Amino acid sequence: MIGNILITFALLASVFSITMYYFTYKGYDNALKLARAAYHATSISIIGASAYLMYAILNHQYEFKYVYDYSNSDLSVGMLMSTFWAGQQGSFLLWLLLTALSGLALLEYTSKRGNLESRVMMVFTLAVTFLLIMVSPGLKNPFTLIWSDPTYIDLKNISQSFMSLPFINDFLFTDQSSGASLVLINEKLAGLLASNGISINDFIQFGKGLNPLLNNFWMQIHPPILFIGFAMSTVPFAFAFAALINNDYKDWVASSLPWLLGGMMVLGLAIMLGGYWAYVILGWGGYWGWDPVENSSLVPWIVGIAGIHTMLIQKHTQTKDHAGRFVKTNLILSILTYLLVLYSTFLTRSGILGEASVHSFVSPGMLTYTLLILFISTFTILGFGGIIYRWKYLEKTFSSEENVLSRELALFVGAVLLMGSAVIIISGTSTPIFGSAVEISFYNEMTLPIAILLGLLNGLSLLLNWKKTNEKTLFDNLKIPLIITFIVTLLTALLGGFNDIMAIIFLFSAFFTLVVNLKVIYKIAKKNTSYIGGYVAHLGFAFFMLGVIGSGWFSTEKQIELIQGETKSSLGYDFTFTGYTPIDNGKKYSFNITVLKDGVKNKLEPVMYISDFNKSLMRDPDIINLITKDLYISPVSYEEAKEASGGDHSHQTTLIKGEPFEFHNSTITFTKFNFPKDAMNSMQSGADFFIGAIIEVLHEGKIYTIEPKMESSSGVKTFEDAVVDGTNLKIELTNLDASGKIEVVINELNKSDEPAQELQVVKGASLWVDISVKPFINLIWVGTLTIVLGFFIAMVRRKKEAK
Amino acid sequence: MNNKYIFGGIIIVIFFGIMGFLLTQTNIKYEENFVELTKSDATIKATGSWVKEKNYEIDRENNIFSFYMKDFNGKEIKVIYNGAVPNNFESSTSVVVTGKYKEGNFYASDILTKCPSKYENEYEAAKKTS
Repeated sequence: MIGNILITFALLASVFSITMYYFTYKGYDNALKLARAAYHATSISIIGASAYLMYAILNHQYEFKYVYDYSNSDLSVGMLMSTFWAGQQGSFLLWLLLTALSGLALLEYTSKRGNLESRVMMVFTLAVTFLLIMVSPGLKNPFTLIWSDPTYIDLKNISQSFMSLPFINDFLFTDQSSGASLVLINEKLAGLLASNGISINDFIQFGKGLNPLLNNFWMQIHPPILFIGFAMSTVPFAFAFAALINNDYKDWVASSLPWLLGGMMVLGLAIMLGGYWAYVILGWGGYWGWDPVENSSLVPWIVGIAGIHTMLIQKHTQTKDHAGRFVKTNLILSILTYLLVLYSTFLTRSGILGEASVHSFVSPGMLTYTLLILFISTFTILGFGGIIYRWKYLEKTFSSEENVLSRELALFVGAVLLMGSAVIIISGTSTPIFGSAVEISFYNEMTLPIAILLGLLNGLSLLLNWKKTNEKTLFDNLKIPLIITFIVTLLTALLGGFNDIMAIIFLFSAFFTLVVNLKVIYKIAKKNTSYIGGYVAHLGFAFFMLGVIGSGWFSTEKQIELIQGETKSSLGYDFTFTGYTPIDNGKKYSFNITVLKDGVKNKLEPVMYISDFNKSLMRDPDIINLITKDLYISPVSYEEAKEASGGDHSHQTTLIKGEPFEFHNSTITFTKFNFPKDAMNSMQSGADFFIGAIIEVLHEGKIYTIEPKMESSSGVKTFEDAVVDGTNLKIELTNLDASGKIEVVINELNKSDEPAQELQVVKGASLWVDISVKPFINLIWVGTLTIVLGFFIAMVRRKKEAK
Repeated sequence: MNNKYIFGGIIIVIFFGIMGFLLTQTNIKYEENFVELTKSDATIKATGSWVKEKNYEIDRENNIFSFYMKDFNGKEIKVIYNGAVPNNFESSTSVVVTGKYKEGNFYASDILTKCPSKYENEYEAAKKTS
């Protein structure tokens, strides 16, 4: 209730704020105070609603469907807090919250800079309004009550102390496929509980819990950082739009640049954190898989980066009465960056990618789908409509000048190359809309030449002067870096055993930009360190490229079997599997592997477990960071030590009640379950119980009856084997199904009167693992952090300049 | 002035030409109908569900994982994959395999398991406990 009141109030206040900012722009100065107050009221309500959701999560208020669906009482506080953004509703609220907070900073920033505020905040608040509509009741609302739509929930999530309530039986159901006991939560039950003075928060004891793929450290920081990047991308749009309103294109670039730099710094960091998460926890084997979700946040980043470069040209070419060059380009790129953030949200939240991505998507419903389209359309019409409206003026006033050899030209070509790669990636990522997909090779083949050109161009551009460079100066500047690059590339290629020409060219490009940037940083840092931001970022890009070469061309991988106690050599390392240790109260198993190379011993502990959440085998890899390379190990499967017997003597099958099954010269029939009287009650209360499966075996005219049991002890199920005396059969019960089916493995034992076919081989426990050596992958992370540092330095400088 | 536009235009045409060509070369179609699937020898993403009754097989020696998959019409194909059982496989409601159909088998290079309904609309078939 409180949550929805706050959201509704925020929505009304935001619309009021837009209106008042509009009046302010029209010259009614009195309205400005009201507009600001309304924006503050909007933000405070959004903060309140978010705090309320966080409170509900921390206090396990399962009356909210969102809290029930994504959290559970057994999560640690940090993970519990991160369930705030585990589902669509909460993610939208987080995005909204961070947008509202960015807006507060933007309001403060613009209020000090002439008459910017009304124009900028008008369109910025509109973005807030759209996000508010998105989380409103009926759409992606996190405060929907669990009984508002009748929901079946598992009996084990209900507090057992209320099972004796007289009316409860009317709400008990059984799931037909799994046999699970369910409780129907609807308005009627909620009413009955309320009239008995029982809170639904006490009635429901546990939530569904967090998807195990999300249940780890990085979930706590990656999504918030990503959404800060998304939120900050709104700002350049608002500045560009404000410039279009006033038909004045000179000052907005300086005001917008620190925001764009900050937004792209955060977004870039978030993208690579996502890659790091995938690499160290999720076991995808690499940091980048050209997955649609990764791509769709990369594209706005690339466009934003292109925009930064062309905005720098505009700033550098500005004179007292000229707005500078590339005015149109800068407007378009600033608008496009935010539109692509919205498009990215559309791709990942609309269910369109349903089948194309490793991320699981849920169709959000027609209403949300329509609203997303409306959101994108509105901002497209505002942004590009504004440009079209002003086009005649823009075309006349800012006709392009002749391009001469200069740093401007190089920066522009760089922006064009970046846009080329954005077009490539977005084309590939959008193919699921048309019911198909592209292979990963498409992205790799298309972006590689662009990356090479970008490296070369970056090195070159720093040797060019602004405005005009004559070829002789360029040649003089070029000589030394080029010679150094040649030597370093040659040595690396020879020592590293490069045999792919593309890899060598790529290496040359990376070293070239590395050498030139180092040289420039050295020169500039002596004078003024606050100016080195751009060069540091490019240095990071060079590191990143080297990391891509190392891990992309020189990674080796192999799947091997490790027998407990035996040492196996592979990829130059000696692996010994020594056994497993239960961790997390026996819920997970950590496999202990010792790795030996050149006398240096290391331990690897990959983890496997069956998740309660989805009843699936989950695998967590482990990595040894060896500075120049990573040794990566991902568990595949584990088999207990066993006595090897002939393969075709064992048969796995499902027995249906009453249907005879022929096995060699025996007939095996599952007749019925032995279901002790108290088993049903025990099952519901979670106490220990057993169920027997009565099986008749007809063998050489005689009937034998056996009863292997399934025992449940403190929630853990174990299954029994039964040897059929007088025959050579052993029947292992592996599963039962309440509908009247059991799963068994029938083993034919060697008869004692026959000569033993072969000696029983005892095989040690075996662990299959994927191992991989990834050289210089650390340069990817070092490069990313260096890029972020560069952005930060540049942002601080541009903020000072934006008076 | 004109030269600049001609030059830029040529570059754009070449760029889109190469991209369009590669897009068609690396394009993978989704196929939900396995009858259609058997007629093609291109790389395809086939969507269907695992036939649980037929279980799956793991050939450790050759590192092969194989199982049967059926489409919405119930048409079954055998899928052969070089690798381990993917995460979530047992609980998946639908499976997307990428690969090629050849002589009665589907050779997958990638398996994606999906379990959305598991989390969202659980227990659709609930029935009153008597």
